[in-house]
Amino acid sequence: MKRFLSVLLTLTLLLGMVTISAMAEGEAPITITVYDAAANYHGIQKGWFAKVVKDRFNIELDIIAPQVAGQEIYATRAEEGDLGDLIIVDKSEFPNLVQAGLVREIPEITESANLMKFKAQIDHYNKELTGEEGKYYGIPSEMTDTSPSSLTDDVVPDSPQIRWDLYKAIGTPEIKSLDDFVDVLAQIHEVHQTTDAGDPCYAVTLWADWDNNDDMSGPANVTHITTWYGEKMKRSALLQADGETFLKVYDRNGAYYKAARFLNKLNQKGLVDPDSGSQDWTSVMNKWINGQADLLWYNWSTGFTNNNKDADGVPLKSKGQTYFFVPITDSKYYAESDAYYGTNRMFGVGSKVEGEKYDILMKFLDWYASPEGMTFQHVGIEGLNYTVNEDGTFSVLHDDALSANLPVPDEYVGEDGVVGYSDGNNAINQWIGASICVNELTGERFPMKFWASYKAKEKEEDLTKTEWQEHFGAENAVDYMLKNGMLEPSPNVGYAAPKDEGEIKSLRPEINGKLCEYTWKAIFAKDDAEFEALWDEMIEVLDGFDYDKLYENDVAAYTVEVNMKKEALGK
Amino acid sequence: MEREWKRARRLGPKQRRSYMEFLYILPFILLVAAMSYFPLYGWRYAFHDYEPPFPITPENFVGLKWFNYIISKPARVRDVLRVLRNTFAMSGISLLFSWFPMIFAVFLNEIKCRPYRKFVQTATTLPNFISWVLVFSIAFNVFSSTGAVNTVLMDLGLIQEPIAFLKSSEHVWFRMWLWLTWKNAGWAAIMYLAAISGIDEQMIEAAKVDGATRMQIIWRITIPSILPTFFVIVMLNIASFLNNGMEQYYVFQNNFNKEYIEVLDLYVYNIAHQGTGNYPLSTAISMLKSIVSIGLLAGANGLSKLIRGESFI
Repeated sequence: MKRFLSVLLTLTLLLGMVTISAMAEGEAPITITVYDAAANYHGIQKGWFAKVVKDRFNIELDIIAPQVAGQEIYATRAEEGDLGDLIIVDKSEFPNLVQAGLVREIPEITESANLMKFKAQIDHYNKELTGEEGKYYGIPSEMTDTSPSSLTDDVVPDSPQIRWDLYKAIGTPEIKSLDDFVDVLAQIHEVHQTTDAGDPCYAVTLWADWDNNDDMSGPANVTHITTWYGEKMKRSALLQADGETFLKVYDRNGAYYKAARFLNKLNQKGLVDPDSGSQDWTSVMNKWINGQADLLWYNWSTGFTNNNKDADGVPLKSKGQTYFFVPITDSKYYAESDAYYGTNRMFGVGSKVEGEKYDILMKFLDWYASPEGMTFQHVGIEGLNYTVNEDGTFSVLHDDALSANLPVPDEYVGEDGVVGYSDGNNAINQWIGASICVNELTGERFPMKFWASYKAKEKEEDLTKTEWQEHFGAENAVDYMLKNGMLEPSPNVGYAAPKDEGEIKSLRPEINGKLCEYTWKAIFAKDDAEFEALWDEMIEVLDGFDYDKLYENDVAAYTVEVNMKKEALGK
Repeated sequence: MEREWKRARRLGPKQRRSYMEFLYILPFILLVAAMSYFPLYGWRYAFHDYEPPFPITPENFVGLKWFNYIISKPARVRDVLRVLRNTFAMSGISLLFSWFPMIFAVFLNEIKCRPYRKFVQTATTLPNFISWVLVFSIAFNVFSSTGAVNTVLMDLGLIQEPIAFLKSSEHVWFRMWLWLTWKNAGWAAIMYLAAISGIDEQMIEAAKVDGATRMQIIWRITIPSILPTFFVIVMLNIASFLNNGMEQYYVFQNNFNKEYIEVLDLYVYNIAHQGTGNYPLSTAISMLKSIVSIGLLAGANGLSKLIRGESFI
């Protein structure tokens, strides 16, 4: 009996192996390892996007995400001499990879029709990298098809946005300065102390987990507000509105001080969420969605508020209960024009990639920048996210496909059986062509707010926007700013400051840590005297840690960018 | 291998036995070598300007640069001292209260109702298995401005404004100890419960016959019997005096309590592991930590020798 069983087991095993190898024959997908600094997901790409790339190239994407697996994975893989097949890293890191021989040359890029639509930008970067014409290593991320000086978006990255109906309720007063704005927010708080459900509301709800991000020292909530006055943190130095002089971050003439002071004044009036010091971003996001914050400033934050519906299913837009830009007349916004030369990441091909794998990877990259590839990345799936009109343009079908993780059409369900749109979304999370590009399939830009079909619908349904347009006599926020001389876009030169080296590398986290600690304490100071005392103490502490050295290092690094911008403007 | 065996056969029976006995411990020696001594090879990072993706080469050898960096500025020295103060304070409080799990175990043992005792033991052990991230989200739900505690206090009219429990830096050392105890006391008591169950029943019965009260039994028999266990655990705690971990302080830290909550491990994380990571500096600090730990252990060992005439090493 035992012998019979063992023979049977062996036979089954053998049979199984034969079947598997037979199945694999001819159609085994090639695994492309993607070292991806942008990814928030670590592992094999799942769901509909996996099916899309497998159907076209017979590849599967194995994503290595340092944001998930830890930064140490970078050092370990670099030591092994093989970061990945497709490599996506920060722009400041890319030259090191070329120098260390971890990235290969990609001369075949000139044969890729879709990538060559961005030829000017790709040439620009590689020439700067190698100093030679016609030598290619990297492809910039999110390049636009516009120009280095145009501003296509209808809203700048950071500007004050408040609820239109509440602003109306207090009589749409003119706001001449930040001090006025504090009063306006106090009046709004008077009429809007709690949400309909009874949750407490505040002018602002802050969070600390994004501090020192985006190459800006200090609390993110302060550094983003400095741009309302045309000043921009360049690491630890504050670039002035004139676009060429720098101030120390703690200078009382700078907008960093002004922004911290503004938040402190709000706090003195009890308008800052008391949990601000200890909550995280997720908690803030839930409060935004719940309508508990009266002021938002990131351009994308309205994505959490303006498409919501009330308890009866009526869109808040149609009642004017959504957030829109409100001008402060003494402000002047800092905004860079379209990222023509790309944003701060680079695509490269690993030095170990050769032969068939290399050919397939180059084809994949070309498709990734093609109209079809970009439609998948920036719009989604036909029949789920959009439908095609008779004239070839798109209409929105489900704009909540991502947030509600809607099931994808059957033909997009792969072998892994993953049906959720969000679950199977492109985990590379970084694009070659920016979403602001024109979609050649439709002749309209990729984001739905640029679609004729969407604009027509908006006119009917969006009370906030129509009333705002009437009141301020402008089409949108950028239009208003330009008409009123509040905005002079700074040309985008695609500059990335070099990576920190040696002592600067340790100095920066120390300075950043102290800067945040004292700025936060100052924001929560009881009165003006305490605020000033903390500010003085901060100056002393930062100087004690050799802030000067860091400041000079950063000014030198960004003077390069200032000069590039001057050149772009023809000064 | 075979040749060795042949040689072993030629040896006398006593030598052969010691050969065999050496083989018994060989796996453990290899394990210690691989797990504890081999990583010391990584100390070489502290003496180089290591910068991935470039490998370590003799050219980027910098000697004691990173050690000098730590003491190069008075502000930084003050900062390191502040961090050490926090580390010593919080480890010190834990050490000072290290009798707490022992007393807890003794009293737990006195509960005569078995189901109730089991319930208390399970309920106090359970938090040990919750990660610190979850502990913080519990803390946030209970102590935030709209959390349970503030809501109850405001409803009762005891306070007008919510109290910012998590933001304030007052008594932060003690509060951290409370969280740690809430999480660990039940788990730490297990060791003592085992020691208590090892006490000879006859002794206790004899004491009862002689008319000893419950408190007298605890004081004269139970506690002296588990005291050696207590000392071993204190010893282990001292050895890890500087390693009070960073998870707890990492999740509870914010810009308002950072001055008091930043312990050595968290400090290393905050300055050396943020962003792309400064491996040489973090290696240098961890080397200093090892040296201080060895010093502390030797000190505690000497003290034990002096007081109890017994040493551990």
